[in-house]
Amino acid sequence: MQEPILELAGISMAFGRTQALRGMSLRLLPGEVHAVVGENGAGKSTMIKIMTGVHQPTEGRMLLNGHAKHIPDPQAAREAGIAAIYQEPMVFPDLSVAENILISVGDEGVWLSPARQRQRAGGLISRIGVALDPDQMASGLTLAEQQTVEIARALCQDIRILIMDEPTASLSAHEAERLRGIAKALASEGVAVVYISHRLEEIFDVADRVTVIRDGSHISTKPIAEVTSESMIAEMVGREVGNYLAKCPSTAADEVILDVRDLTLKGVFENISFDLRKGEILCMSGLVGARRTDVALAIFGAVPATGGAIRYKGEDVAIASPRQAIDAGIAYVSEDRRKFGLAMPMPIRSNISLATLAEFRTPWGLLRRGREAEAAERFRKKLSVRTPNVELAAGMLSGGNQQKVMLAKWLNMNPDLLIFDEPTRGIDVRAKAEVHGLIRKFAAAGGAVLVISSDLPEVLALGDRILVMREGAQMGILSSDEASQEKIMSLATGRSELQEAC
Amino acid sequence: MPQFLDRFNPQTLRILALLAVFAGVLLFFSAVVPNYLNGRLFNRISSSVAIMALIATAQTLVIITRNIDLSIGSVVGFTAFATGSLVSGNPGLGPVALVGYAVLLGAGFGAINGILVAYARVPAIIVTLGTLALFRSALVEFSDAKSITTANLPDWLISFPNAVLWEFGQMQFRAGFVAALAVVVLVHIALSRFRPARKLYAVGSNPEAARMAGINCERTVFAAFVLAGALAGLAGFMFLARFGTITVVAGLGFELKSVAAAVVGGVNIFGGSGTAIGAMIGAALVDLIDTSLVRWQLVSEFWREAVLGALILLSVTADAAVMRWLAAMRQAREHKKAVAGMRAEQEKAGR
Repeated sequence: MQEPILELAGISMAFGRTQALRGMSLRLLPGEVHAVVGENGAGKSTMIKIMTGVHQPTEGRMLLNGHAKHIPDPQAAREAGIAAIYQEPMVFPDLSVAENILISVGDEGVWLSPARQRQRAGGLISRIGVALDPDQMASGLTLAEQQTVEIARALCQDIRILIMDEPTASLSAHEAERLRGIAKALASEGVAVVYISHRLEEIFDVADRVTVIRDGSHISTKPIAEVTSESMIAEMVGREVGNYLAKCPSTAADEVILDVRDLTLKGVFENISFDLRKGEILCMSGLVGARRTDVALAIFGAVPATGGAIRYKGEDVAIASPRQAIDAGIAYVSEDRRKFGLAMPMPIRSNISLATLAEFRTPWGLLRRGREAEAAERFRKKLSVRTPNVELAAGMLSGGNQQKVMLAKWLNMNPDLLIFDEPTRGIDVRAKAEVHGLIRKFAAAGGAVLVISSDLPEVLALGDRILVMREGAQMGILSSDEASQEKIMSLATGRSELQEAC
Repeated sequence: MPQFLDRFNPQTLRILALLAVFAGVLLFFSAVVPNYLNGRLFNRISSSVAIMALIATAQTLVIITRNIDLSIGSVVGFTAFATGSLVSGNPGLGPVALVGYAVLLGAGFGAINGILVAYARVPAIIVTLGTLALFRSALVEFSDAKSITTANLPDWLISFPNAVLWEFGQMQFRAGFVAALAVVVLVHIALSRFRPARKLYAVGSNPEAARMAGINCERTVFAAFVLAGALAGLAGFMFLARFGTITVVAGLGFELKSVAAAVVGGVNIFGGSGTAIGAMIGAALVDLIDTSLVRWQLVSEFWREAVLGALILLSVTADAAVMRWLAAMRQAREHKKAVAGMRAEQEKAGR
């Protein structure tokens, strides 16, 4: 058997209380394209960051050419011949293409010669086989061009391992094909290429071997000929599902609250159609880049759609701003607690009243703190937020309790439609069950809920119906009876569509 | 047109625009002020730019890395005073020793800022706001309420900045200005050609990408502050030589003037781009307007500050607007390209 060029042996990694990797192992052979697949949050990104020296593993070691190798920082990784290109390319917008490509070159002396740089960068670009002007400023490049710059940057040194993290996620089919061609060409030159992708069909096109990882652990590594998309999906999702995730009976009534027809945002998503009843929970599932959040933001008016129609409570509406949506009784709880959700240094009390400040105002425009505290106290009991008092800064709470405060903020406006984006991301099992209970209670009281989640067991447990998206397209709506993890995954990865086509 | 503009380095565009504004200002004042364009105007501005260009360049180094140095005026004041008191105690010291002393002292102050910003990770605006006051108080303590006067200084030091190297009519190229110009050009070339200098731009342009590219961001930011301190020290030496009389308020207000000059000179306040020559032209422009307004009776003394403020706002707003416009044009083109690509794919799939 061929000697691996890089081997991960029993790598574990913890961020605080979250275990991102558990005894991960991986063996890379020179000259192969090695695909790594796994669900969102399976630990792929953490694994890459350990290989490139961004993170240090808490346990385990890496072997380079059979010898233990410590990689303390990205510079050391580069020197060892390990380079990575990311889904979001890392370019310097203020520098030219040539300067970007040669940013970490150290073998040319301290004085730069623009002519020589241009020539060298041009050579690398043409080796990849694309047309790109080395003098152009990087701020003007398309995403695909930026990725080309990153690959060229990797090539300007003696590279032995190239990691590509979902490189095609935001590329068109044509651009993606060309990128896969580059990956194959590099492998034929002896480079070990790690190729991470959610698109199973492209893995069959590009990979020599496939490794499936799940929950931070290595599940299997097989030659591409020995796997099918079904076997891959089964291994990706095959985890034990606890009892707390049992499906509860639907409380859906007949009255339709929200009716979305052919909703389109040019270049982002197309022809999304569904209806949502009073008391119903509709889950939107799909992989990263499926554009689910964009649909939610369009309904909420943050980034209004360019085409299609929304009927809300039986009336055609055009929601152009979040203010309008809030006035109409639509609440959107963001997936990013830090960025869009909570004012972390402010007390729980102020966070809860933030979306409905008008209610707490005296005729003189002053805030009624007493009434604020009352409302906050009410929600603390109702949602069982674990905190000594409501004057604590929101940032001091655990993730699950922050999630509850966020929910309280929006429940305080008594919404008719609640859009909840990734309700339980990064929170523990107990808090998860509690948040699920709150969502069900809200639905049972007659509210309509749209949940966006990448967590398949959660989708199955909550959703009365499940809408699956893939790259901006609606792949289908499953009822809770017919839905299974395998079915959702095959819709989300586009396998079933291909099978129908065959 | 915009596509053609795309091909240009935005920095080159900025410098060209700046020179156009400079010419415009000259034309305007020569129309409203009698006997305006003469050698004396050049001499006055070049003498002042000899100091302002140095601190603008120092500020540029720091701003490129997405930071700011508000302590620069205090550093200039302190080094001017300390160098003056050194030479008055040891009149035999030569120019090399004095310049070296001023530069090292300035670099030391810069290192204090750099450690706090780069390694202690305190935002630069807070750190240098603090050291602005601290360094100034240190000067008050150090000076013991005394002043340096011309009488304490050797003759060569006082006469050096005004020594005329070349003369064209009334226009005099004085040693102080020529020396400062040489330093600025040196820094300019280093910024564009010296490989380690590229790191300053990389860190300011995209810190995360810089880290991924194996650049030591902390060390880079630290170096920027030390170099800025060294340049401020040099400016302190020039200040001493030009004015001869140094009190505890020497260099007061330079922090704002240096930021104004850099920003007017096209240095992006959010980091990642800017040139030393641009900063110098910015310094000259600010000074030109300031000097010219004195001679224009229409504007009272009290409004000169306001005009300076308006100039800063105008230049930054105009720059942002033009850059946004260029970006929007680019995006529109990209969108068109993407749509065309999608169409082509759909046709292919349809077949």
